[in-house]
Amino acid sequence: MTGGHLLTFGLFVVFILITLGVTFWARANTRNATDFYAGGRAFSGPQNGLALAGDYMSAASFLGIAGIIALSGYDGFLYSIGFLVAWLLTLLLVELMRNAGRFTMADVLSHRVRRQPKVRTAAVVSTVTVSVFYLLAQMVGAGALVSLLLGLEGGTARAVTIIVVGAMMVFYVSFGGMKGTTWVQIIKAVLLMGGTIVLTALVLGRFGFNLSDMLGEAAKASGQENFLNAGNRYGREVEGDPVATIINKLDFISLALALVLGTAGLPHIVSRFFTVPDARAARTSVNWAIGLVGVFYLMTLALGFGATALVGHERITAQDPSGNTAALQLAHVLGEHIGGPVGGDLLLAFIGAVAFATILAVVSGLVMAASTSLAHDYFGHVLMFGRPRESQEVGVARVSAFVIGLFAVVLAVVARNQNVAFLVALAFAMAASANLPAIVLSLFWKRFNSTGVVAGIYGGLSSSLLLVFLSPVVSGKVDAKGDSLSLFPAGVDFHLFPMENPGLFSIPIGFLCAYLGTRLSREKADQERYDDLAVRSLTGTGSHTAEGTGRQNGVPSAHSNGSRAW
Amino acid sequence: MGGRHSYAGLAQDRRFRLLKTRFKRLAISIVVSFLGWYFVYIILSAFARDFMARPAFGHINVALLLGILQFVSTFYLAWRYTRYARRMLDPLSQQLRDEAEQHRAEMENIERIMAERRRIETWAAPPRPARHRRSSGGLR
Repeated sequence: MTGGHLLTFGLFVVFILITLGVTFWARANTRNATDFYAGGRAFSGPQNGLALAGDYMSAASFLGIAGIIALSGYDGFLYSIGFLVAWLLTLLLVELMRNAGRFTMADVLSHRVRRQPKVRTAAVVSTVTVSVFYLLAQMVGAGALVSLLLGLEGGTARAVTIIVVGAMMVFYVSFGGMKGTTWVQIIKAVLLMGGTIVLTALVLGRFGFNLSDMLGEAAKASGQENFLNAGNRYGREVEGDPVATIINKLDFISLALALVLGTAGLPHIVSRFFTVPDARAARTSVNWAIGLVGVFYLMTLALGFGATALVGHERITAQDPSGNTAALQLAHVLGEHIGGPVGGDLLLAFIGAVAFATILAVVSGLVMAASTSLAHDYFGHVLMFGRPRESQEVGVARVSAFVIGLFAVVLAVVARNQNVAFLVALAFAMAASANLPAIVLSLFWKRFNSTGVVAGIYGGLSSSLLLVFLSPVVSGKVDAKGDSLSLFPAGVDFHLFPMENPGLFSIPIGFLCAYLGTRLSREKADQERYDDLAVRSLTGTGSHTAEGTGRQNGVPSAHSNGSRAW
Repeated sequence: MGGRHSYAGLAQDRRFRLLKTRFKRLAISIVVSFLGWYFVYIILSAFARDFMARPAFGHINVALLLGILQFVSTFYLAWRYTRYARRMLDPLSQQLRDEAEQHRAEMENIERIMAERRRIETWAAPPRPARHRRSSGGLR
């Protein structure tokens, strides 16, 4: 380790200490299930907006998109746009879901159906699957990134990093619950926005705040003719092969579809809807998130193109062929320009710490969502028929966080040298194919029933998984030299589906399964409960408030008893 | 969920139907405009690359310009939704919510009175917290 690495390490430790302090504070202020699962519903709109942005802007988007822009130019920007535009759908659904649910997506889905346990189980399966895949992508990335930032080489360093990150996230969740996790997100969002604003200002400053000049320099430095145009990475045109060209273009549209429809169904985003006192605060928080996420992704333009112009294509690919370190290298170059080698190390250490905070915050948000679903939906409502003691259920949630964390750590250690970046897009595709149909049809389709929910979730989930398993990302993609670009080594080839992104097919399949499941079953929808759900979701009548039961002074439910038990 | 109060009765209320229609109209107009405009942009990026590559200002080409416009349109639509919701949806839902909760409180009150009356009519003893009595009469 050099001095710069020690500085980075020091900043990591500072971040860990601060967040540990926050977690202890959160633990002392967590008294009941509403505190644990929803932070006592006490966060304001702007606070939750910051936390939503913190949950959403993963290292994949901070480092990944900057890297894609740096290496493939304009195409990386397409990713940012999908990530942002998706929030409009979230804005339309957030109030309804906040009003209708208590802690999880399953609360919304099971409100009006007759066979609650089946619906809850399906929702748990999809929540946990999406979370674990997304988690795996983040943790493998974390292993590579953090060991690089600390100047450690080799598989062992990566494994140790993954274990430390895993231990931290489990601690935040099982100890601090939603309160702890939310504050970690808020701190991270502030750090990330701050770091990105500093970098952007410095980059633009180098080009006299002239965007056009920066783009020109970037295009020159990239050595690619079409750097500022579409088609370097997605929807690539294959000369003399119109079929391959059209498949590539459809693949690109498929990715865009999953990005724009997936966000509203991501479990760690949905579980944030319930941390605010009412639907209006939920709306405010999504508006804040739209503002933050939008400004952030606009700035990734400057980071990406700036990295190409100032760092150069060769130096970026020399450090990491997929470009994930471009933003960090940019920080180093910018710092050096201002303050010499020391300045370079300082800015790199700071941005490195921001990246570390980003990773920790996102993975803990995911573990929070998955363990809430396991404890509240599966243990509480399926195994215990909705009548567990509150303290018992929260105890299960704390243990679930550990189990999911352990599972993710083991998988990530095994896959630590694989390129699993495709899992992010897969998680979005699964959320869009399995969760979105169930949510939208539950809220708006009068006839929707239990069979429809279950068929939609399993149909969407399994079709997206199967299509990816049979796609070139898993087997059969080789580069010009014959080396494998897939998960399996070269020579193993069972790919039957030509596209890398399943969304274009799996999302319609999800909706179709939900529709057919409803139509083909004999079960009749419960009209009264549908009307009840409509009234509750649109007006906020009887929604869950901070006290746990609702605005009404009714008899408290089984859940809100026993708050003194732990 | 056993004893949960149902608000289904309100679904036939004229004002609730108005609220529902307004929300649906708003939601559909926003979904159609943002998804439509987003996919126009995506399809242009995939199939109209010569058009997208035309320079607009300096090195900024049509593709980048339209991409930035996607950001602007997202902010605009979020703002429009919020403004409409504040003006046209919130007052209505507030009114309905207050009435529904008042109605619910009244119903519960009536139920409580009816239960009390039944108890008096049948000369049953008032319900007592049995466990509490036993513990106070026991060790202490």
